[in-house]
Amino acid sequence: MAHVATAVVTFVQAMLLAALQGVSELFPISSLGHTVLIPALLRWPVAESDESFLAFVVVLHLGTAIALIVFYRTTWIGIVRGLVRSVVRGRIGDDPDERIGWLLVAGTIPVGVLGVLFQSSVRALFGSPLAVALFLVANAFVMFAGESLRRRAVTVGTALEDLSWQKGIGVGVAQGLALLPGISRSGSAIVAGLLAGLDHEAAATYSFLLATPVILAASVLEIPKLFAPEVRGITVEAVAGGVLAGLTAYASVAFLTRYFRHNDLRPFGWYCLVLGGVSAALFFWKVIP
Amino acid sequence: MKALALLLAAVFLIAAILYATGHGYPAGVHEKHAILAFVLAVLALVWFRFQSTPASTSR
Repeated sequence: MAHVATAVVTFVQAMLLAALQGVSELFPISSLGHTVLIPALLRWPVAESDESFLAFVVVLHLGTAIALIVFYRTTWIGIVRGLVRSVVRGRIGDDPDERIGWLLVAGTIPVGVLGVLFQSSVRALFGSPLAVALFLVANAFVMFAGESLRRRAVTVGTALEDLSWQKGIGVGVAQGLALLPGISRSGSAIVAGLLAGLDHEAAATYSFLLATPVILAASVLEIPKLFAPEVRGITVEAVAGGVLAGLTAYASVAFLTRYFRHNDLRPFGWYCLVLGGVSAALFFWKVIP
Repeated sequence: MKALALLLAAVFLIAAILYATGHGYPAGVHEKHAILAFVLAVLALVWFRFQSTPASTSR
């Protein structure tokens, strides 16, 4: 393909990054961290600040958001109806959909504010794979600590609709940690949910529902990048990548909702600890420059 | 609380207009800030509506 020569990623790299995005956005292992680490470890000459690459990433996020909406379509229809109903009525009723809907709104405000205010400030970290590797190690300890504290918790098994406003907003604030590349959005939110008294399945569901408007808004706001004059020769990679990211995201959320019925975060913690630790050592001793 | 909700709505709406038009901000128009401020203004108005109706079951 002639245009690939001028593109910032090859078709194969684009597909691998798309699959990686779809999986790592929802698994608690940090998609941003993997987007920085994997090309650095494989020595791909990916220009991550290039407008074409940023446009490609926007499409991957859009695919992920659409997959989440499709997976939770029934839940979202109930939530949107509940939100409209409560505004028309002028109060939040006893319907779980209304309550969960407003919890999601309250939980999304902090991450939206943090994202708009600080995203450009932390973007400098994206250029340092060593910093990202260290944050991935920190992500592992967040999950280990979360599991350890949960085992000592008095309140467990709170239903999602019974979550207090403070705790619902607290989970949203925890999501904001994911602005740091290497810290997982879903991992932070699930840990915060566990500490708020939810079980793993409810915490994961709340995390995925919270992630949907955030990922969707982040990608929709960046859509103008797709039409920037500097963006060239990435259309095929972006469209195919968006579809693949959506498919892998759908498979990931389907797997994780079943996984968290009986399992916990520790395997993901070990994965982040090993990948982050080994990567940090390779970058620190300049085995990989 | 009703007065606070209304005040917040007004402040966020003014901020949204200022961000959208670039007035008072040397760096120019901030679309994302404008959208965020507008969304917060709408949410403050929703909060005002909830405060205005008796027998809220909000926890």
